[in-house]
Amino acid sequence: MDRLKSVFDEFVSRHGIGVALFISLTVLVWVLVLIALPQVAMLDYSFRHNLSPQDIGGPQDVYTLSNYGFFLFRDGSGTNTLDMGVLGKTILASVLVTIIDVIVCYPIAFILAHSATGVAARLMILGLIVPFWVNEILRAFAFRVIFGATGLINGVGMSLGFWDVPIDFIRANVALYSGLTYTYILLMVFPIYNAVEALDRNQIEAAQDMGASWWRVHWRIVLPVAKPGIASGATMVFMLTAGALAAPQILGGPSNLWFTQLVYQWFSDAGNWQRGSAYAAILLVTCLGFVLLMMKVFKVNIGAIGR
Amino acid sequence: MSASTLRGQTFSVGYSLLFFGFLFGPLIIMTITAFNSSSFPRISPWECFTTEWFGVLVNDRRLMGGLVNSIIIGAGVVALSVPVGLAGALALAEIGPKLRSALYTVLITPILIPGVVLGISTIVFWGHIGRQLGFGYDSVFFNGMFLTIAGQVTFISAYAMLIFSARLQRFDPTLTEAALDLGATPGQAFRKIMLPFLRPAILSAAFLTLLASFENYNTTVFTILAQSTFTTALASKVRYGIDPSLSALAVIIIAVTLIGAMIQEAHTRRREAIVTGRASRSRLYGNPIGRFVAHPATIGLLLIALAAVAIWRGSLHDATVCKQEVIDEKRANQQRFLEEQQKRMKQNAPAPQPAQPGAPQGTKNPSPFGGAFGNVAPQSPDAAPPGPPPAQNPSPFGGAFQGLSPPKQ
Amino acid sequence: MTKDVALDHVTIRFGSHTAVDNALLTIQGGEFFSFLGPSGCGKTTLLRCISGFIEPTEGRVLIGGNDMRRVGPNKRPTALIFQNLALFPLMSVAENIAFPLEVRGVGRKERRRRADELLDLIALPGVGDKKVYELSGGQRQRVAIARALAVEPDILLLDEPLSALDLKLRHHMRTELRSIQKRVGLTFIYITHDQGEALTMSDRVAVMSAGVVQQIDVPEVIYDRPRTAFVASFVGETNAISGKVASQSGGDVVVDTPIGMLPGRASGGRSYAPGDIVTLFIRPEQLAVGEAANAPSISCTVVKEEFEGSVRNLFLEDKGIPLRLSRVNSGSEGAPLVPGQVVKASYNPEKAWALPATPEA
Repeated sequence: MDRLKSVFDEFVSRHGIGVALFISLTVLVWVLVLIALPQVAMLDYSFRHNLSPQDIGGPQDVYTLSNYGFFLFRDGSGTNTLDMGVLGKTILASVLVTIIDVIVCYPIAFILAHSATGVAARLMILGLIVPFWVNEILRAFAFRVIFGATGLINGVGMSLGFWDVPIDFIRANVALYSGLTYTYILLMVFPIYNAVEALDRNQIEAAQDMGASWWRVHWRIVLPVAKPGIASGATMVFMLTAGALAAPQILGGPSNLWFTQLVYQWFSDAGNWQRGSAYAAILLVTCLGFVLLMMKVFKVNIGAIGR
Repeated sequence: MSASTLRGQTFSVGYSLLFFGFLFGPLIIMTITAFNSSSFPRISPWECFTTEWFGVLVNDRRLMGGLVNSIIIGAGVVALSVPVGLAGALALAEIGPKLRSALYTVLITPILIPGVVLGISTIVFWGHIGRQLGFGYDSVFFNGMFLTIAGQVTFISAYAMLIFSARLQRFDPTLTEAALDLGATPGQAFRKIMLPFLRPAILSAAFLTLLASFENYNTTVFTILAQSTFTTALASKVRYGIDPSLSALAVIIIAVTLIGAMIQEAHTRRREAIVTGRASRSRLYGNPIGRFVAHPATIGLLLIALAAVAIWRGSLHDATVCKQEVIDEKRANQQRFLEEQQKRMKQNAPAPQPAQPGAPQGTKNPSPFGGAFGNVAPQSPDAAPPGPPPAQNPSPFGGAFQGLSPPKQ
Repeated sequence: MTKDVALDHVTIRFGSHTAVDNALLTIQGGEFFSFLGPSGCGKTTLLRCISGFIEPTEGRVLIGGNDMRRVGPNKRPTALIFQNLALFPLMSVAENIAFPLEVRGVGRKERRRRADELLDLIALPGVGDKKVYELSGGQRQRVAIARALAVEPDILLLDEPLSALDLKLRHHMRTELRSIQKRVGLTFIYITHDQGEALTMSDRVAVMSAGVVQQIDVPEVIYDRPRTAFVASFVGETNAISGKVASQSGGDVVVDTPIGMLPGRASGGRSYAPGDIVTLFIRPEQLAVGEAANAPSISCTVVKEEFEGSVRNLFLEDKGIPLRLSRVNSGSEGAPLVPGQVVKASYNPEKAWALPATPEA
């Protein structure tokens, strides 16, 4: 408390009482009312029964584990392999998308930072940003246009005689994975770019001068510098992919659910907010746990995220 | 050495082309489909050049209603998340390193938390507050607009904060000290030194937060409750049947984006030239005409005028004749196909009818006519049938040439 | 118009680190006063304390006799010129200069008039509408001074303002600063690690080391009669020969060194007991080749001679102790010396100082 008081006094002496109050109160409201309390409320809700409005606060309104129990055992009839499978598949697929994004974005970030100059570099940055000003839904829609049963690839493939029956890219999740990879590319390129840009070009040249092959230059010189950027980008891409809802709804096959879609179904279709909250909490904890685990494995700090 | 550099450059150029091909390919394809009269957004077969999908788009009630909601929500989100993000960034910039990393972790989490979780926690929390205070379902705590703003501000503020933090890192704190030393009060120093320094960041934060608010789906789809925003309306439209009016929307967004980007580029170049003092020596900025032509406002006006002309010309375009020809052609093809089939059936009457690949069959797969007629009422969900197989395709050239013919007037 | 600045036993601590230790001094009104010391010696901390950004942990800062405790930087009669000048990049030159008037609510016209006046004072008329980045380094320097003067301060504080300039300009600005100070007649408190700046411009200099003020005096005395080993070695070049005191009579001391019994002076009226460990400091220009009457001499071997334009530096050595000797390049110093040659080096014992060896020296 004393620390906070001295921080506040520091603000007052630097910017005056008005600005100090603005900063402290705003941050307080943001952290408490917008970030922390809603999560607590959701967690609380996830331990409650789905009751009709008049029963809320009544004798039936007690804490329960049934919503989490449902995720594990369905209605007590054996393990709920279906929902757990969806969660596992969501995590695995998100990892896959993240890895693809790292592989796709690392070269372009490096080229942008160390090969492109002047106008070319500016155009490239503009070219990276412009597609992401287009609505996410429309980006997913574009992939449906390309991969749909009567879409561009099937149209071209069949008219050239490569195959006769339309290939169901949607069911095979090709469309979904491509769409997700595409959607979060920007979030991967810029952190890596920021990290790699700090690298002194002379270091690369010195290494080449000493006879290092290009992959060794990247492995020993560039990658260590890029690591915090990759970590930051990978964390964001993973979290956003695992939490994506629009792309799976639009591009996902009918039998291939994303975990967020289960959450959505509990809310919209089943009207069971409590169970939906429990599923949301499961998603949040799993994803954060996974990210923290990966950070531990790769020895990176959360402070690197968003930089 | 030079050989490897050359190889490196070839790789760089090649990879960049592939990468940007991947980035822009979908957008270009989508753009082209907006002008094809086919009721399913596609490039081939090309039927007729048309601008009717723009009309369909504008007449979509639900989408336009959502647009109004989105604008209101966007204004609210910008008005809140820019100051909130600014406060966060200022707090982070000036507290001790230990407290800073803790606060940073807390403030950055809303970006990492899945949007659906944010949406759910927002409605659960405010609903709880509303019930505790004894408000009914018609109160603000159950109002989709309010909840959406609250939910979006939670994480969009973090975006604004990142922008401000990046700018603040380049702020020289001695400027504030100098102002104080010269007799300014702390408040004056903030208003006259810090805020002007942050002005560009405020503008870009406002733009980015507006965009993020407008685009958001994952959180909004929960918090908006029974209402809809532009993006949620768009999503349900895409989920329940797609038609090229969505491509038309993409065309509009891409055009606006490009115009904005070009004005921005002209602006940065101009400022750079002035700041570095190259302006007076450069050929472009050195003479008055060049200066006028290269001014961002001139370029902006020019582009907007071009867009207006395109809209006007487009609105005059009429593809009815062309479409009729396509329909006739399809009908003729169909007729011929049926006749052939009947002939074949007569030849081996006892044999069960073979499933012709791609032939119209059953109710689930309406005839290509349906597809063509679908153009007339493209708004009905699931109207878009799977297209006819390539064997029955009308010649794509026919359509293309029709499309190229000048607008009939 | 001008006011004294008194540091009354000022101590400043950051946690366990003592940045300024018990500074006690008075700066006269109208004086050009310099704090000289290596980086990290606490001189900038002291300056920020005088301008009000830091409160002393112990002791008081008095300006014109008034205790400045809890008086913010914007309320003190001081103006600080920052090391990086801290000119406001988004404002024009005139707006920068008139900023102190703007925050005091002076009208636009009056502000402009005053800014133009100050621009005339610093000999930069007509640049008021330029942006700061359009000016050269030296011009920015002067604008920063004009802006500080617009406050109409009693005391101008300067934090190494010349360190970013190139050598020529730095030398020019020394004269410039001194003449501005003479013209406006304010107290200037100047911080620098460059002894040349401190010695040429100042009325008095305070040499600081590790938070402690070592010596306060006029430049000549600082150079000629250093009172601590640190001052002797930090200000100017010097030869340091350590040894033990053999005898002392009055201010004259004889030091028993590995290269013989060498006479010198005890600085500041110190008296030593025989056997005290001291260091004898002899400036290179006080050493001369050859023997002279009544002058002690050291016989040593030539290691090498370096030519440095106005002077020749002769590197000598005796029993592992290096000695450096500077001769003015007047053309009358005779034949060049050859490495390995044995020569006599004599010095004036009145300008050799025996000082107690301190850990940091």
